[in-house]
Amino acid sequence: MKNDFKLSDLPKRNIYEVPDKYFDRLPAQIMERTAGAGYSPAPWSAAAWKPLRMALAPLVLLLVVGVVYFTQLRDQSKEQAIHLATVADDDIMDYLSTYAVLETGDFAELSVTSEQEMTADFLNVSATAAEEELEYYQIETTDF
Amino acid sequence: MEDKDILEKFANPDSRNLAFNQLIRKYQQKIYWHIRKMVIDHDDADDLTQEVFIKVWKNLENFRQDAQLYTWLYRIATNECLTFLSSKRKKFFLPINDVAAELTEKIDSSPHIDGDEIQLKLQKALLRLPDKQRLVFNMKYYDELKYEEISEILGTSVGALKASYHHAVKKIEEFIKQD
Repeated sequence: MKNDFKLSDLPKRNIYEVPDKYFDRLPAQIMERTAGAGYSPAPWSAAAWKPLRMALAPLVLLLVVGVVYFTQLRDQSKEQAIHLATVADDDIMDYLSTYAVLETGDFAELSVTSEQEMTADFLNVSATAAEEELEYYQIETTDF
Repeated sequence: MEDKDILEKFANPDSRNLAFNQLIRKYQQKIYWHIRKMVIDHDDADDLTQEVFIKVWKNLENFRQDAQLYTWLYRIATNECLTFLSSKRKKFFLPINDVAAELTEKIDSSPHIDGDEIQLKLQKALLRLPDKQRLVFNMKYYDELKYEEISEILGTSVGALKASYHHAVKKIEEFIKQD
């Protein structure tokens, strides 16, 4: 073979051949098979799904972000509850008596739980002493 | 008949068969020769061509008309060829070179091949190329498709296709110079 052979020098030629009248018969053979293959047009739901898919993508993303966010939030509150459970009751009482400031909402809660006799425990005074204090400051007539 | 007219007729159940028959007649040779150059054997090419058109029949309704019909057909045919050659290797546990050797043997023995020595040697040189590079070469050299069209069919960048074709030509020239 020549050492200076260039592909561009070679005339293009298709060396492959087909049997006689092959391309005349092929369409009929294929059409025969398509009859057996059946034809299933795309259902309306498939056609509607294409534009919906584009619209739903950001919504799905938002949903995923929301689920992840709230899952993390729930885990955090669980951890906080676990930490609080490990604190001794006396420590909590000390903390509350030192730093807690009673607000009107607290009194409202106290009235709700009055049947459970928690007033004395919560204020760390006897019920009688608490009533005396309330009478002394005339809290019922005070406009909060 | 224009592709647009074929697709419109295909959408109408009453003219669907007629439209598909026209589609086959319009593209059968391009698809067949594209496949034949890849699988060499006529019977294999015949089976694959029919499979391609059956897939087209089943999926033409979903064809998005932002692509050209013939590039879509080429893409289906290309995928069929690559799957066929890949399954041939897996089925017989053959390395790439052995499939090339088998196809080379078919070039020498097939009754449906007629070429002079240099043309036969060119076909044997092509079989030494990787499948995808052979596809690029065939589509550029024989089918005279534009790089942009090949890019659409193969999903490869135009730059990569130009490089692939350039390397393919060099390899072929080297192979032919060897004797």
